[in-house]
Amino acid sequence: MKPAPFEYHAPETVADVVGLLAEHGDDAKPLAGGQSLVPLLAMRLTRFEHIVDLNRVDELFGVSLDNGGISIGAMTRQAAVETDTAVADRVPLLHLATPHIGHFQIRNRGTIGGSIAHADPASEYPAVMLALDGVAEIASASGFREAPAAEFFESTFMTAVAPDELLVALRFSAWDQPAGFAFDEIARRSGDFALAGAAVGIGTDAAGRINRAAVGMLGVGPTPLRASSVEAALMGLATSDADPAEIGRLAAEDMDPIGDVHASVEYRRRAGSTLVGRVLANALAQVNTEAGNG
Amino acid sequence: MSQTAAAARYVGQSVKRLEDPRLVTGHGRYVDDIVLPGMLHAAFGRSDLARATITRLDTSAAEALDGVHAVYTGADLNSYNDSLRASLHPPESPAPPANMLADGDVRFVGDPYVMVVAQSRYIAEDALDLVEVEFEPLDPVVDYETAAESDHHVHPELGGNLAHDLPVPNPATDEAFANAAYTITETWHQHRQTNVPMETRGIVASWQPHAGVMEVWASTQSPHELQLVGARVLGIGEHKMVVHFGDVGGGFGQKMFLGREDMAVLVVAKLLGSPVKWIEDRRENLLASNHARIEQMTVKMAVGEDGSFLAADLDQLEDDGAYPLGGPATPGAMATMLYPGPYRMGPVSWRARTVYTNTCGRGAYRGPWQMESVAREQMIDRVAREIGMDPLELRRRNVLTPDDLPYQVSTGLLYETTISPKQTLEQAAEMIGYDEFRAEQAQAREEGRYLGLGMALYIEPTSMGMGPLGTESAMLRVEVDGHVNVFMGTGSHGQSLETTMAQLVADELGVRPEDVTLHQGHGSGYGFGTGGSRSAVIAGSAARAAASGVREKVVAIAAHLMEASADDLEVGDGVISVKGTPAASMTMAQVAATAYQNSDALPPGTEAGLEHTARYKAPPTTHSNACHICTCELDPGTGKITLLRYVVSEDCGVLINPMVVDGQIAGGVVQGIGGVLYEHAVYDASGNPLASTFLDYLVPTAAEVPELECGHVVVPSDTPGGHKGTGEGGAIGAPPAVFNAVADALAPFGAYPNRQPLDPNAVLSLIASASDE
Amino acid sequence: MADQIPLSMTVNGQTRRGLGEARLTLADFLREQAHCTGVHLGCEHGVCGSCTVLMDGEAVRSCLLFAVQADGAGITTVEGLAPDDETLHPVQEAFRDCHGLQCGFCTPGFVVSVAAFLEANPDPSDEEIRHGISGNLCRCTGYQGIVAATRQAAAVMKGSGQS
Ligand SMILES: Cc1cc2nc3c(=O)[nH]c(=O)nc-3n(C[C@H](O)[C@H](O)[C@H](O)COP(=O)(O)OP(=O)(O)OC[C@H]3O[C@@H](n4cnc5c(N)ncnc54)[C@H](O)[C@@H]3O)c2cc1C
Ligand code: FES
Ligand code: FES
Repeated sequence: MKPAPFEYHAPETVADVVGLLAEHGDDAKPLAGGQSLVPLLAMRLTRFEHIVDLNRVDELFGVSLDNGGISIGAMTRQAAVETDTAVADRVPLLHLATPHIGHFQIRNRGTIGGSIAHADPASEYPAVMLALDGVAEIASASGFREAPAAEFFESTFMTAVAPDELLVALRFSAWDQPAGFAFDEIARRSGDFALAGAAVGIGTDAAGRINRAAVGMLGVGPTPLRASSVEAALMGLATSDADPAEIGRLAAEDMDPIGDVHASVEYRRRAGSTLVGRVLANALAQVNTEAGNG
Repeated sequence: MSQTAAAARYVGQSVKRLEDPRLVTGHGRYVDDIVLPGMLHAAFGRSDLARATITRLDTSAAEALDGVHAVYTGADLNSYNDSLRASLHPPESPAPPANMLADGDVRFVGDPYVMVVAQSRYIAEDALDLVEVEFEPLDPVVDYETAAESDHHVHPELGGNLAHDLPVPNPATDEAFANAAYTITETWHQHRQTNVPMETRGIVASWQPHAGVMEVWASTQSPHELQLVGARVLGIGEHKMVVHFGDVGGGFGQKMFLGREDMAVLVVAKLLGSPVKWIEDRRENLLASNHARIEQMTVKMAVGEDGSFLAADLDQLEDDGAYPLGGPATPGAMATMLYPGPYRMGPVSWRARTVYTNTCGRGAYRGPWQMESVAREQMIDRVAREIGMDPLELRRRNVLTPDDLPYQVSTGLLYETTISPKQTLEQAAEMIGYDEFRAEQAQAREEGRYLGLGMALYIEPTSMGMGPLGTESAMLRVEVDGHVNVFMGTGSHGQSLETTMAQLVADELGVRPEDVTLHQGHGSGYGFGTGGSRSAVIAGSAARAAASGVREKVVAIAAHLMEASADDLEVGDGVISVKGTPAASMTMAQVAATAYQNSDALPPGTEAGLEHTARYKAPPTTHSNACHICTCELDPGTGKITLLRYVVSEDCGVLINPMVVDGQIAGGVVQGIGGVLYEHAVYDASGNPLASTFLDYLVPTAAEVPELECGHVVVPSDTPGGHKGTGEGGAIGAPPAVFNAVADALAPFGAYPNRQPLDPNAVLSLIASASDE
Repeated sequence: MADQIPLSMTVNGQTRRGLGEARLTLADFLREQAHCTGVHLGCEHGVCGSCTVLMDGEAVRSCLLFAVQADGAGITTVEGLAPDDETLHPVQEAFRDCHGLQCGFCTPGFVVSVAAFLEANPDPSDEEIRHGISGNLCRCTGYQGIVAATRQAAAVMKGSGQS
């Protein structure tokens, strides 16, 4: 199990990266944490003439405050996201989702940009990005552009990032209102990709009525999905009136599961709905305590 | 056994392992760590199709690649095939053609059809990409339940897919069934799993021309099987086949026999005259080493009004895959014969069949016939449920008690008086707090929580004393400085033999364990190696006997030198002293120096030197037994099973090293947990394996397993140390215990599981289909 | 053969130099050119953890890195943990005391991972230990001894202020 030969590039600036991508087109591949790409190379399930290592491009690393929200460089390690206080403070869902990604050794190398660009439908970050309407900043030889989450995940493992483009950063805005967030998933073993999971944010007005609901789902479709039926059902309810199990069941309508060795279509639908309900209950409980504390 | 042996100082103690200092610091030496001058690397090209004719095979581009030394196909190597039979496989029984490389057609996904030898493994794999091959696909035989009737033949040479059919009718069962209050039938299924040693298979072979010597380093459980079969393959004598035994990263049965690839490497190393290394990669290991447990048993049991077991009728079917590792043996026949287990079962009739399919070959996996316990213990829980009796009570009514022993089982087995199933059943029930758990379970159900408890009680035939398995030897030498080297035919690959054998020698000879080094492989005497729970009893008894032989001589020499009576001497920790007068003493080193370097000072007629070789022949079987009980909670929303507690009460006789015994049990238990809840080497209907990486073949992690609580009942066996084998038991008891726990948790839903794996998907669909009914 | 790239890194405190193609994994470099055969390969696709080493202090899979990516880095393998030839690292000592290994193949990866885990979590609960070490597979021990060893090492390292 050894990778095929390739030419290695270690650029130090985004400009050089996109230059290399423009030059080599489909024959080039960015290498971030390597936690998904290198296994595929080792098994020779994929091969590229040119590997463009992003690990020496300093400008792609780090979390910065951005207009009340945050901007996270694509090469920021998952481990750094996990422990970053600004992330925990402003985008709690990212903080809550991160420990579910693989194991600490994986998170020490794996990057948020790699997770989003790889776009595994069972992966945590894509579901969080979708739920929170995150924005991707994308660079290419012809300049910068942005892609909102709703347009980013095109199909399984396919995103708005073209082969000659580089995902540079991800932007998330903070919720400026009483809110509750929760994340959970079911995986076969500790650290495995999820069979099904949910990322939920609930925001209320001062009177405790839900005026913002964000429900992202993983593992239950060809891409991460939003449970719009659930979101719609929540709007306007008082948090204490919402029956999470009941509302969670609506999520089944928003799913489009794919069966595989680990779970059938039917399983993913059932367990996914259960999880949406449970995570919703946790998020609601969060809002209540926050309101109570505040 | 020596009557004068020092009191046990080390046997029975959790002596820290002698192998650990090198292993915890990364200084073990596994086969991949062997590097020889000029060594080349092999890689195999393997079939992507389950069954196909090779219509074109062109290796010229691969051969032309820089760094490639040779490319071989079946046509180049298969003339050596006649000699490939494993030692346990009788020459007269029909077997698939033992091709090293597929020749003309491929018979499972992973079937090797080309072998590249190159400067590095990287280049060897580059060359495989350049091999041009075309296949004409044929309809594969994938489903073993219908394989026997299929018109497509896995091995056209054999004219059919039925490998074995052994019917053993017993008219006595008819009457029992006629008089039974209950007749209950179920078919129990296990599913395809694989051993997954963390170190894959591997071998380094180096030929010395003119000397005619083949020197080999290999990841093996049985260095002598490698020496014997390897020599046969190469057409050389065993005296020219040097097998070095280093550290081995697990095997669980997979490394008992030579694989086709191992033999190809031996042959190619000789053809090329350069050392060749092959290290299997994980995908090859998951697809093409060996699979196991692909079997089902239909059980019909006759049960009396009071729950007594009156008779059983069994029909066992097992999948051998295409090329079973070690030959097409019939574990199914063993599984049926052992079915009665630790119970009064009445007459038993059975049939056991094995079939070939276009899948990876079956091989031994820890407890290769554990289907007997799986089927029986799951059946007993089913019977309990059907007749409305508590499963512990049902077992209590039928279990063999000390008063029943010795016990002649209707299937031909004879249980010695030294088994203790009743005691382990009671100890385990006590440890888990059986009645308290049932109360807690009832309470939880009222709260909408689903708890389950499962138990399994079994008797395991260990250390089987027949055929090539029957004996082991130990050659023990006290060196001039008083330290001890002992050479044995074992193949320790995690069993801690460097420590446990040293403990036995230490007590018997009167030295400290750290003064003893165990050498395996080259230089040791024939033995079948380590597997089948045989090393403690068979090899251990040989080690004892060798030590005892040397000890007698040590005492005689010391008595002569000290002018004391041999009867007055005691030996311990390398010091020979007069009982009650510790000042009057001499050291093992002094005795040894005299024996080798001053032999004129020896007692008259004493041969110089301090060494002794002993071979131990085991009794037909030494039975060990155990009871496993585990509890679980089922999440009806996700189907996830969480194991709560796991207790084992076992009797392996006298424990040499309790820490090691508990470790062996724990490892086996977790393999059993993995088998029932996580692992599945699944194929699709076209014979494509779907679990070819560690992301799909799910070995449990620490987070999936509960803390294990071990209790010990010690009834010494009649073998010299009083030990019984314990290497496999964990993997025998765990599958039915875990299965029964999940079935118990599912009972309130009206679900009746009869197959594994019980993964979340299966659990939810059991609940769904039960509620549909 | 493709271009050979000069490589240089600090391995267990010593400068190690070598040459390799870009595709040479860090694990293979360490095993073949730095004589660190304690770096074991159990899967080569990132799941088993046998190849775990510390790169600039962080536990990583060396099978998922190319050696050229570690050029200039500081690597610690299992061989570099013990302070001297006579003394074991507390984690190594604990693995021996608690029977945290049988065949020993997974052990180097576990020892390195546990050392890194305890560095970040000096006082873990059993639950945290089980999840913390779930990135390493062991097929022999059933993890009982490994969990116990992690517990013991945590206590010892805390006591000696080593974490
Ligand atoms: C044992 C194990 C368990 C895992 N478990 C999980 C899990 O539970 N959940 C989960 O989400 N992931 C899991 N992963 C995957 C891990 O999170 C990966 O790190 C992640 O999916 C990819 O991130 P990376 O930085 O490693 O990217 P790489 O592997 O380096 O790259 C992945 C893909 O993204 C592309 N890419 C990366 N960065 C960019 C960029 N800036 N611009 C454009 N393209 C880019 C690459 O070209 C490549 O195609 C696991 C991995 C392993 C080995
Ligand atoms: S060998 Fe690197 S994780 Fe398995
Ligand atoms: S000790 Fe053998 S794999 Fe862990």
